[in-house]
Amino acid sequence: MDPDAVARAFVEHYYRTFDTNRAALGGLYQDNSTLSFEGAKTQGVAAISEKLTGLPFQQCQHNISTIDCQPSGPAGGVLVFVSGSLQLSGEQHALKFSQMFHLIPTAQGSFYMLIDIFRLNYA
Amino acid sequence: MDPDAVARAFVEHYYCTFDTNRAALGGLYQDNSMLSFEGAKTQGTAAISEKLTGLPFQQCQHNISTIDCQPSGLAGGVLVFVSGSLQLSGEQHALKFSQMFHLIPTAQGSFYVLNDIFRLNYA
Repeated sequence: MDPDAVARAFVEHYYRTFDTNRAALGGLYQDNSTLSFEGAKTQGVAAISEKLTGLPFQQCQHNISTIDCQPSGPAGGVLVFVSGSLQLSGEQHALKFSQMFHLIPTAQGSFYMLIDIFRLNYA
Repeated sequence: MDPDAVARAFVEHYYCTFDTNRAALGGLYQDNSMLSFEGAKTQGTAAISEKLTGLPFQQCQHNISTIDCQPSGLAGGVLVFVSGSLQLSGEQHALKFSQMFHLIPTAQGSFYVLNDIFRLNYA
């Protein structure tokens, strides 16, 4: 499978879900998944879902500037590296961010996030 | 081996080498290594070394702001996610950047870079 196509499809799906139905993000992780969000580490579907739905804002919109991807090794994994901006409702200025994902193929022919690392890019 | 210790040691070595002896960076890659530098993809030690030594500046200094790491899920591999600034000599303002590395253990007990993705973070 073409890593670029996988990456683009995943990025679109992930940020749209994040921006419209954040509670559904849990379905993109499994129990061995890890999230580092601004340095805070969590593991597993329940803890990650709780972290993301508990972030201190109601509405947000991600705008993606760059997507880079590479195969991560022989087992079909894909590394995805994203940069963009995050507009929180009520805030005057958008925040810049970078994020990386390690996507692993599932038995059903889809992908899940084994690793998710998010950082704001301060000016 | 502790991923955090591996990540910190690698980051320090990588940027010190980049800033003082860029030609020596090739030793950190192997022939299956992939580099995406501002969207331009290269593969293999020779091509990556050529790309990095050919970048259009003589002197530079990286200052690292954040280092995040996670085991990559592949046989002792470590994913490292870095953000910081890059000061080019003669330029008034430093550039912001994010970079990710996928480090794979070598038979000699060290690590090499299988995946390397670099992006400037524009304001």
